[in-house]
Amino acid sequence: MGDLVRSYGKGLTAIFVGFVVLWILLMIVVPQITMIDRAFTYQDRGGETAMLAVEIDRAYAKRFQLEQQVQQAQNAADADTGLSAPSIGTPSIGAPSATAPSAGGLPQPSASAAADGQDDVEALEAEIAELTAQIRELEAQEDLSSGEAGMKAEYSLRNFTTMSGIHFQIFVMTLLYAFCVTILSFLICYPVAFVIATTTNRNRLALMMLGLVIPYAINELLRIFSWIMILEKNGILNSVLNFIGIVDIDAGEGIRFVASNGAVFTVMVYAYVLFMVFPIYNTIDTLDKNQIEAARDLGASAWKIHTRVVIPHAKPGIAVGSIMTFMLSAGSIAVPEIVGRGLHPDWFSQLIYRRFFEADAWNQGSAYSLALLVACIVFIFATMAIFKVGIRDIAR
Amino acid sequence: MRGQDVFLDGINMTYPNGFTAVHETDLTINAGEFFSILGPSGCGKTTILRMISGFLDPTAGAISIGGVRMNGIGPNHRPTALIFQNLALFPLMPVWENVAFGLEARGVPKARRRKRAEELLELVALYGQADKMPTELSGGQRQRVAVARALAVEPAVLLLDEPLSALDLKLRQHMRAELKEIQRKTSVTFIYITHDQGEALAMSDRVAVMNEGRIEQVATADEIYNRPQTPFTATFVGEQNVFTGKVTLAVGNEVAVETSQGTLYGVNRNDLAVGDEALVMVRPERIGLLNGEAGDPEKMAQLNTLSARLQRRDLEGALINLYLSAGENDIHVNMHNTGDNTAFEDEMKLAFRHRDTVIMRPGSIARDRA
Repeated sequence: MGDLVRSYGKGLTAIFVGFVVLWILLMIVVPQITMIDRAFTYQDRGGETAMLAVEIDRAYAKRFQLEQQVQQAQNAADADTGLSAPSIGTPSIGAPSATAPSAGGLPQPSASAAADGQDDVEALEAEIAELTAQIRELEAQEDLSSGEAGMKAEYSLRNFTTMSGIHFQIFVMTLLYAFCVTILSFLICYPVAFVIATTTNRNRLALMMLGLVIPYAINELLRIFSWIMILEKNGILNSVLNFIGIVDIDAGEGIRFVASNGAVFTVMVYAYVLFMVFPIYNTIDTLDKNQIEAARDLGASAWKIHTRVVIPHAKPGIAVGSIMTFMLSAGSIAVPEIVGRGLHPDWFSQLIYRRFFEADAWNQGSAYSLALLVACIVFIFATMAIFKVGIRDIAR
Repeated sequence: MRGQDVFLDGINMTYPNGFTAVHETDLTINAGEFFSILGPSGCGKTTILRMISGFLDPTAGAISIGGVRMNGIGPNHRPTALIFQNLALFPLMPVWENVAFGLEARGVPKARRRKRAEELLELVALYGQADKMPTELSGGQRQRVAVARALAVEPAVLLLDEPLSALDLKLRQHMRAELKEIQRKTSVTFIYITHDQGEALAMSDRVAVMNEGRIEQVATADEIYNRPQTPFTATFVGEQNVFTGKVTLAVGNEVAVETSQGTLYGVNRNDLAVGDEALVMVRPERIGLLNGEAGDPEKMAQLNTLSARLQRRDLEGALINLYLSAGENDIHVNMHNTGDNTAFEDEMKLAFRHRDTVIMRPGSIARDRA
């Protein structure tokens, strides 16, 4: 702190420290506390209550939709005043959800005169009023039912302990899959990093670096979709197999590569390869290459050179790469969602998403997230212990 | 352990970019010999070492060790061990594992590795340091670990790439004696690469002087210093005062050369004939002040003389260095500090014997060595 004040003066230091404190509070402490608080708060959502909650949510969503329609109709009416031939397009709100019982009664503002528009708005507002009343009624009912069940929110571990067997299995499998991805990435990245770090030809080094970095200039989603192009049933890989004559696409023989562990692993390894390559490359780069030659001169085989000289030296890099790859793949949602398409066993991150946004169980979602976070932290410390690497080594 | 001979038959090393590091070279290194290759940096000595150790394959020519052709055989399958300039100890292994690494690579069981490592550590006077890490040792101790590690694989030829250059002067002198002693005890062939003439002269049975990819001369240390065959050897090993001129008289082994300092007589090393361009060289310690001999014509007939002006006098303990100028030539003289010769006149008459004066055909000269 004294150094900071000396270098930047009191004013700037105050601003720096202020921002850091603000960042720690707003971005780390408060969200985490909220998350942990939710995770340990149990709300009984037994059968009927849960149904009610879902119904209330739907009613709210429906009302929001209607309000938007009203807004649009009014805008259209304003624009139309004075125009004899209105040319309003169809409403851009998506098709009303099938769950809405009054879907058929939706007004069609297209090609309507300003007066018609006025009527529509009135009809819509009536509907909104009706919904509001319905919501009030449902909410009263909900309060009553949870009161009857005697279930007020309370602190407990039940959000964790009530995790179903299938969910727990997914949790374990996700960690296992992430671990597999980490191992695969290491197996692919170590030789690459070694070759790059021991290249003496500067041009070749620049080319290899470029080859590694260029794919990362492309958006992650695009990278994932490009793999879909390759792995799809009518995709590039099957076309090649068709060309070679192994399968016959026209006869519908294409192999379904997507939605398999292999595909998910492949795409994930590709997506996170760089996070493994660079830490390892950086550590091997600092190895005195004479040590490799010395080991060879003393008669060591390639295997011995790597296991006794290079890998021990590269340990901090391997640890950092493994931690990053593991965290990223354990928390990945885009890859299993897009490549897995629901046909592949879920990843825990997808489950968390659905807890939050589909099952409307935020507290349980928080508990699941917390479980994943803890598992990842345990992995970090385990990795550091196995590699005998300290925080200091990692920060190098 | 038994040393083996090394035979280089017309080897040549040209890199893909066209640079020739070593021109066609023949060299025989005898079994059990302490052989040094001496030359300035970039002269190709390390390239030769790497070719013998197997890290480089010669563009042409053959290398054999103990009569077995080595071309195409990797460094891990040659009966050689290399000690690197920076030693390249494995920093993450304790000393004994470093020493035993070669045995580990050969699949020797751990107990025997440990025992052998301790024997070798005793040989290099490091007994009891087996479980320390290399970073806990001093420079000289690390040096000895590197020697022990190389000897562990029982090489027939030990290659040393300027291993002492990182040590300070005292330690370096001490290690010279130790290396020589280890070589004597093990009778392994040592091939020692250095740019330090002191090391090469002090330790070696024979020395090869290299310059620009070519070997200039191979001989014993005394021979190299006292009877250099090329201007490069003469000037790189030890110091020389150099004069240029033209041969005016050649009788038998003696020649007279007309220089800016007058006619100087000396030993004809390159069969020069009258009219040839010539270099006249004399070492600083062979030049003396002309005094008693001045009146003795018989003695004067054996001496070259010239007058010079004293520029600087440096006392170096046992030696006194005089830097003088005579016309266009700078002359360096050193003499023993006898305790009486503390004051020198500005104008001096210098003399040196004909037999200490070497006359050679002009060629490349080592300059500005630090």
